[in-house]
Amino acid sequence: MNNHARFTAFRWRSDQQWEGYVFLLPSLIGLFVFSLLPVLFSLGISLHEWDLLTPPVFVGLKNFRNLFTQDLIFSEVAANTVFFCVAIVPLQMALSLLLALALTRRLPGAPLFRAIYYMPVVTTIVAAAMIFQWVFDRNYGLFSSVVWGVGSWLNAPLAPPDWFNNGFWARWAVVILTLWKNSGFTTVIFMAGLQAIPRVLYEAAAIDGAGRWQSFRHVTLPMLSPTIFFLAIILIIGAFQLFGESYVMTGGGPGYATMTVVQYIYQSAFSYFRMGKGAALSWVLFVAIFALTLAQWQLQRKWVHYESNT
Amino acid sequence: MTHKSLWIRALAAGLALMVAASACSVRPVEPAAQPGSDQPAPAAAEKVVVRWSVWGSAEELASHQAVADAYMAAHPNVTINIEHTPWDGYHDRLKTLVAAGDPGALADVIFLGQDYNRYAESGVLEPLDDWIAKTNYDLSDYWPTVIERARVNGKIYGLQRDLDLRLLYYNKAMFDKAGAAYPNENWTWDDWAEAARELTIIEPNGRIAQQGIGMETGKWSMLLAQTNGGYLDDPRNPSRCALEDANSLEAVTFFAGLIRDKAAMTPADLKQIGGDAAAFQQGRVAMIVQNSSRAPTFNAAGMDYDVAPIPIPKGGARVNNVGGARFVMNSAARNKEAAWAFLSWLQGREGGQAIYTRRGDMFPILRSVANSDDFLKLPIKPDNRAAFVVEASSVRLFTFGDFPEYDEMNDLIIEPNLQRIWGGEAEAEATVRDICQKVNEFLKQNGYPRP
Repeated sequence: MNNHARFTAFRWRSDQQWEGYVFLLPSLIGLFVFSLLPVLFSLGISLHEWDLLTPPVFVGLKNFRNLFTQDLIFSEVAANTVFFCVAIVPLQMALSLLLALALTRRLPGAPLFRAIYYMPVVTTIVAAAMIFQWVFDRNYGLFSSVVWGVGSWLNAPLAPPDWFNNGFWARWAVVILTLWKNSGFTTVIFMAGLQAIPRVLYEAAAIDGAGRWQSFRHVTLPMLSPTIFFLAIILIIGAFQLFGESYVMTGGGPGYATMTVVQYIYQSAFSYFRMGKGAALSWVLFVAIFALTLAQWQLQRKWVHYESNT
Repeated sequence: MTHKSLWIRALAAGLALMVAASACSVRPVEPAAQPGSDQPAPAAAEKVVVRWSVWGSAEELASHQAVADAYMAAHPNVTINIEHTPWDGYHDRLKTLVAAGDPGALADVIFLGQDYNRYAESGVLEPLDDWIAKTNYDLSDYWPTVIERARVNGKIYGLQRDLDLRLLYYNKAMFDKAGAAYPNENWTWDDWAEAARELTIIEPNGRIAQQGIGMETGKWSMLLAQTNGGYLDDPRNPSRCALEDANSLEAVTFFAGLIRDKAAMTPADLKQIGGDAAAFQQGRVAMIVQNSSRAPTFNAAGMDYDVAPIPIPKGGARVNNVGGARFVMNSAARNKEAAWAFLSWLQGREGGQAIYTRRGDMFPILRSVANSDDFLKLPIKPDNRAAFVVEASSVRLFTFGDFPEYDEMNDLIIEPNLQRIWGGEAEAEATVRDICQKVNEFLKQNGYPRP
């Protein structure tokens, strides 16, 4: 069998490009029908008042204008979303980097821990959020039981936080759940980034007399910066789209403490029949995420270090 | 709710519209008198199919099936096709079908648990007044205000199946242990609060082992109605917020006081435990306010409990919830005659009402059924069935809200701010004033009061 002849016979020819598109067609149709069209459609909806039951009425930019001028809770909901972004992204980044550094060491049992840390990622968020409701139960929850137990052991008036009646703690409950749920994913990406750093750089650093901290600061971090950049984009988008974590665990409460923009979109459109408002909110969220991502692309030149640049 | 299902819903809605755009030309022809037109059917027993959409757990579905079977046994020419969707998603599915612009896709007789007013106003539902008149269907057997509440712009679009009546459920074992007297129909709020405090157990370190009362969001608000207060001055066409009125404030401060003393759970804590029924079953609270739907669960768990009418404030009134799901007819039903025959039988003393009642599924909407042995002598707990009848006699239109934007107003303005009072984060009087300011603004933005 002449393999070489076969390969040349099936070689890609420039006049055969349409065949490629034929193979892509099923995916393209799917993308068009199930993603692009609904996205464009939602832009159209955002310019209408539509309750699903009666015909849509064109209102121009009214839905957008109302959000910024007379909406009773949009500013609070937007502020919450920004809070979650600011709280979750750096914490998750730091936590995952620490985990990744620990797990890439050749310690006994490391593969087991890798699996354990990744497990929450494949857990359904609804199930996880319900479990965490119990974990945070002030009187009988897992976390609280530890605090009560320590308190009675020390004979001290130690009491766990009232997670779900106090806005401050409810927010942190959502942050903790999100970190628990998503850190496994971030850790795996960091581990891949760490393993891609050539050994020789560390050896060179050691020869130059660099200690542990110095080689981390001057070798690991710069070499990881593309990974950090990638994760920053992914995590910020994820934080802006936070929904299941808070919706299931706290329902957005107490007060408005944990209500996010996505929950507001969902409720406006599907609970209160304001499809136009829901669509307008979605587009505001999209523009915010898009602008932030764009800004990050611009800023990356200042701090992201690609090996080929050296 | 996950991201995924949110997107699926959004896509479904988008697709529905695309289908709507393309389906205009293939809309089914208006009610065809004879289905299966290629075979001339015998005139006497023309075969009829009625499509009936319902939600429900496996047990509830079994009840619906029993009802359908009984109807088919009595009407051999009729086939009832049950279209079942679980409660989660049932009403989203309805909305999507309506948005698709193909009313024929909806079932002929629909069990409707949400947004009745909206559907009625949109023309999706058949007005039943002519059918009621034509067949002399008896409306006088319904509990007070039920029929009044079913009217939208003067017309009746649906018949309510049951009363979502709330009662005070109490754990007898806990009362016995605390040496407290069982609640009875003469109890006032003072008796209630005293018992709640007696039944609350707080350990020395502050951990709460047991609380007196658990009232969820939407349950505690009955207290407002008992003081003759409410959220709004007029539940159907409100012109202003009434929560800051003295009698409303009395109810808010009563409940806030119970929570402050740990004698009542906050609604947030109840939600987190899994609802008041779960808290009751787990022995976390001694008393809850619930309808009859959870009784089978309590019975299966072998709980020692009973019910009593809900205590009222001194000088207050006994009120209860007039709510409940309705059977409605699709205005594009293929055979309206058959659909009405089935619907009115569902709502009949000998038909659906009796069957559902005997199965212990509901509190009947017809007074005659509630006062019959079918309900009163039902050999299942709770024993004090008379308490239901006491409460049902007091049913009146709740002073909450009964207009399309009510849920939005409640979820976004009233409830979150009340939560801050219950959580001890905000002071009652100032917060209630703040709520009212926002509610009044919301009413104005949405064009209330309507002329």
